[in-house]
Amino acid sequence: MSQVAESSHAPTSTGIDHKKLIMWLFLASDCMFFGTLISTHLLYRKLYPTGFTDAEGHQRFIQNLFNIELTSFSTFILLMSSFLMALAVSAMHKGQIKSFRRNVLGVIFFGLIFLGCQVFEFTHFYHQGLTIQNSVFGSTFYVLTGTHGTHVAIGVLWLILLYFYSFTGKLGGHVGALDVEVAGLYWHFVDIVWIIIFTAVYLVEYLGPSGFWGTGLPLTK
Amino acid sequence: MSHAASNQNLITEEIRRYHHFITLALWLAAITGVEIVLIFLPVSLPIILTILCALSAIKFFAVILWFMHLIYDHRLLFWIFVAGLGLAFATFTALLSLFAVNRIDTKWFS
Repeated sequence: MSQVAESSHAPTSTGIDHKKLIMWLFLASDCMFFGTLISTHLLYRKLYPTGFTDAEGHQRFIQNLFNIELTSFSTFILLMSSFLMALAVSAMHKGQIKSFRRNVLGVIFFGLIFLGCQVFEFTHFYHQGLTIQNSVFGSTFYVLTGTHGTHVAIGVLWLILLYFYSFTGKLGGHVGALDVEVAGLYWHFVDIVWIIIFTAVYLVEYLGPSGFWGTGLPLTK
Repeated sequence: MSHAASNQNLITEEIRRYHHFITLALWLAAITGVEIVLIFLPVSLPIILTILCALSAIKFFAVILWFMHLIYDHRLLFWIFVAGLGLAFATFTALLSLFAVNRIDTKWFS
């Protein structure tokens, strides 16, 4: 039986729930955090356009390293997980706990697929000779995408905890809906950061006949 | 307004949002598809780059406005987030200006 979450809550001086306000403040600060990471990556990409040298001493180029099909799939998965998260939050507001569980399981599943793709990508790059230590690109790329991946992993963990918590019967009413909404905000933020990373880090590498950063080489796989 | 009527309004509102979410998810998937096609088109770099940035911005704001409920929520939350976003963008611009590649002797970094 569904029961609508009560909309009344303890009054605050701003008229906004404290949990939600704190989450938005955190997201604003995380924006600056990712802003500096993305800026650093782009700057060093511009300063060092030629890529990296692998363990055998061969010069390697970034354009030949990326797999746009895999990254596009990851992006699609994350976007769809955001959609399911929105449905999960909506279900909680309507008091439909079963619908919430179904949608949040989908989000967790998609989040794990995204993380799997990232692990696969990192392993592939490592076997191609790109490490966090052997080039500026390696350092900025792994730190940026790794930090984002860590955010995704934390989000997945958070949602798993919420999923099991829902079986205790304590995740209900306005407070429960608010808890899910706050987790949802975090998850959507992870998604919007990836939207920027997808364009700024991956797509730009494919622009122009010799790559956006001008290595002077044709884009061949 | 009675409690039951209030609850009914909430449900109606959530159903309306549900349809918005589905429409938005389809648009986001479509835009991502367009982005992938765009990078392989033989169009000049500045044009493609501008379009890619615009499409990313559209996706970014679509998610924060609808999925993150900023369009329905208190206006203060929007400005808090925009403040963080503005600072991030300012940092990016400042770094770009400071490290304009033509003015840097890169041998200092190698």
